[in-house]
Amino acid sequence: MACQTNSRGSKLLKVALLLFFLLAVALPLIGMFSRLADPQVREVFGTQAFATACINSLVVAATTTVISVAAALVMSWVLCRTAIHGKGVLAVLLTVPMLVPSLAHGMSLVYLLGSNGMITNMLHGTWSIYGFAGIVMGSFLYSFPPAFLMIYDVMRYEDATPCQAADVLGIPKSSQFVRITLPFLSKPLVSATFATFALVITDYGVPLMVGGKVMTLPVLMYQNAVGLLDFDTGAAIGFVLLIPAVIDFVVDLLARDSASSRYVSRGFDLRPRVARDAVGYVVAVAVTLALLAPVASFCMVSFVTKYPIDLAPTFANVGRALTMGAGSYWVNSLFIALVVSILGTIIAYLVAYITARVGGVSARLLHLASVTTLVVPGIVLGLSFALAFRGSPIYGTFAILILVNLVHFIASPYLMAYNSLSKVNKNLEAVGQTMGVGRVRIVLDVLVPATADTIAEMFSFFFVNCMVTISAVSFLSTTLNMPLALLVTDLDAQRLVECSAFVSVLILATNVVEKVVVAALRRHRHAQPSVSC
Amino acid sequence: MTARDADSPAAPKLSAQGITKSFDGREVLHGISFDVRGGEFLSILGPSGCGKSTILRILIGLEHPDAGRVLLDGEDITDAAPSSRHMGIVFQDYALFENMTALGNVEYALRFDPARRARRSQIALEALASLGMADYADKPVAGLSGGQMQRVSIARTLALNPEVILLDEPTSGLDADARLALRSQLKDIQRNHGTTMVFITHDQEESFALADRVMVMGEGSIHQLDESLRIVENPADDYVRDFVVANLKAKYDSLARFASPLE
Repeated sequence: MACQTNSRGSKLLKVALLLFFLLAVALPLIGMFSRLADPQVREVFGTQAFATACINSLVVAATTTVISVAAALVMSWVLCRTAIHGKGVLAVLLTVPMLVPSLAHGMSLVYLLGSNGMITNMLHGTWSIYGFAGIVMGSFLYSFPPAFLMIYDVMRYEDATPCQAADVLGIPKSSQFVRITLPFLSKPLVSATFATFALVITDYGVPLMVGGKVMTLPVLMYQNAVGLLDFDTGAAIGFVLLIPAVIDFVVDLLARDSASSRYVSRGFDLRPRVARDAVGYVVAVAVTLALLAPVASFCMVSFVTKYPIDLAPTFANVGRALTMGAGSYWVNSLFIALVVSILGTIIAYLVAYITARVGGVSARLLHLASVTTLVVPGIVLGLSFALAFRGSPIYGTFAILILVNLVHFIASPYLMAYNSLSKVNKNLEAVGQTMGVGRVRIVLDVLVPATADTIAEMFSFFFVNCMVTISAVSFLSTTLNMPLALLVTDLDAQRLVECSAFVSVLILATNVVEKVVVAALRRHRHAQPSVSC
Repeated sequence: MTARDADSPAAPKLSAQGITKSFDGREVLHGISFDVRGGEFLSILGPSGCGKSTILRILIGLEHPDAGRVLLDGEDITDAAPSSRHMGIVFQDYALFENMTALGNVEYALRFDPARRARRSQIALEALASLGMADYADKPVAGLSGGQMQRVSIARTLALNPEVILLDEPTSGLDADARLALRSQLKDIQRNHGTTMVFITHDQEESFALADRVMVMGEGSIHQLDESLRIVENPADDYVRDFVVANLKAKYDSLARFASPLE
């Protein structure tokens, strides 16, 4: 039961947070979509270009979703149900593609499988990756890690007891998987399917790099809004892009409860079995190679003299990239990522505190506002900000990039904090009240230490996403505040592919360092003894 | 419904007068009144959902009644802050600060009391010692057993020297041995410190074993408030007869066949 006493401070906080969501989310979106009231704007829905982009987007997203979710399921099975070695390392390696922008995935496919790609040349291939195949492959790299995490995080906690009972009854393993494990995974599988679909259909990084003549909705929106400054068409397409995200949001909401209520009672006894483990190794190597070869390719390209003509190793590209502004853009990105991570973590935590531990009608509104931001794809948010804040003092400054990233990424860290704070004993504030210890002190002295791991995860989520994002910021950045990820396309467009690859490496390295630092801090914290006062 | 103690000789320590409370339009307490005598162990007995915990939360100020008053030593404290009521509360789920040691938990609130801040470690250690937990002072509470955690929670309340301690089913999560040990420690505290205790439970046997008087509740109303023996001898209505007397008799019958060997 939440505490009855609602202090003036918490009421003020609720109002401030509600105002924040109103000004930073609701008003820009309402402003943008109000353009659809004009019948002329809606004419875009009848054009051939829109129809083609719609079909292309649907086909690409559906195909990628099937491949990504199937691969994520198989890989989760390998990590949870085989006795292969190095599972911990594999689980980390499989998420590495999340640490680079989607643009880099598209770019790396060109290095590997393009007309002068390493694999193309090795196999004397004559294929073209530009178009449907390229978008699907690039989108797979981009969408596999989150799908894998969604399935793996549930599968690893599956209770072995029903399967052990099935073993005793002589039921074959294949049947156990179909009849026991798959039903257990039904909710995360549905969630992963819709989330992957929504992720792929709203991404423009991969199709921009390897889409060729295959136009997708986000690219059409980007070209109209940024290239032609036709904001009305951009807004109309943006509205359509909300639909899959809204469906994903509703499905996720329905699937969330029962998945989180499960708990483990007995783990699986994984004794080595030659045939099963051999399959495990083959799948693990194949999937890991498929995911990491592209990452390795841009790491390599960034240190060769002239790809693909002269592969002699050199550091000259580092210097060239720096003279092209990589250093200052990196500082921009780092500044934005750090400010968003700190501010975002504080705001998401405060919102979660109100919704998970204070309660009330406004808390329910705040919860709704926070999770609703999940629905808004980055490009839609970016365009709505561009329209809402044009002419305002923050347009063209770091402040607008910080604000848009904060809103874009707040939902997931908020849910992390909400889940974590909901699990902490509900009577702590009540005890504090009876002992004369205020809410703020209980938050700082008890709740923050109790949820420190979640806070670290929240910080990390904001940081990594700010470093890799291109969607929202592409509508809002200028040469003065441009983040590093956008330099990938700029350099690539200037045929400076090695420098462009180096920029991706720089983003990857920054994220790896951040992850290592956060992991080290968490380890250090866990090594500390409990405190007396 | 009112259950006033007709033959109460002294002024009550704590009184609830006409307490009514609703949640989401549903009334869970129907204007109940009762007194708690100074130094007594009053048990509030009733099934889950009968409003026991809500009474406790109203007594200590974590909930505000829709109507009615709470008096401590005759003074109206209905609108007083929980921390100024000179009461402590112990929850079923311990509500310990899990990032702290046992000592850290007990001395935490003393940090904010200027009069006792300097002596906080000593006071906390004494409170832990009175519950047999001095040896665990430097242990993180997360590693303690349920019984040990509950004793730390009681020590935390005792350290603030409350006049009334409210106990919200403190033995519910414990195994049989820990329950028995805790019961006897609670009685010791009551006798040694003269602390008034209000204990809520759904367990008839525990209620009658511990309390000086028992208040039987059902669906937001008080059915009977009296000394344990008088409730068994003269149940006020069918509800008390079924919920209390029949239940105690069933427990007694199931154990009766062991009476001789145990003797």
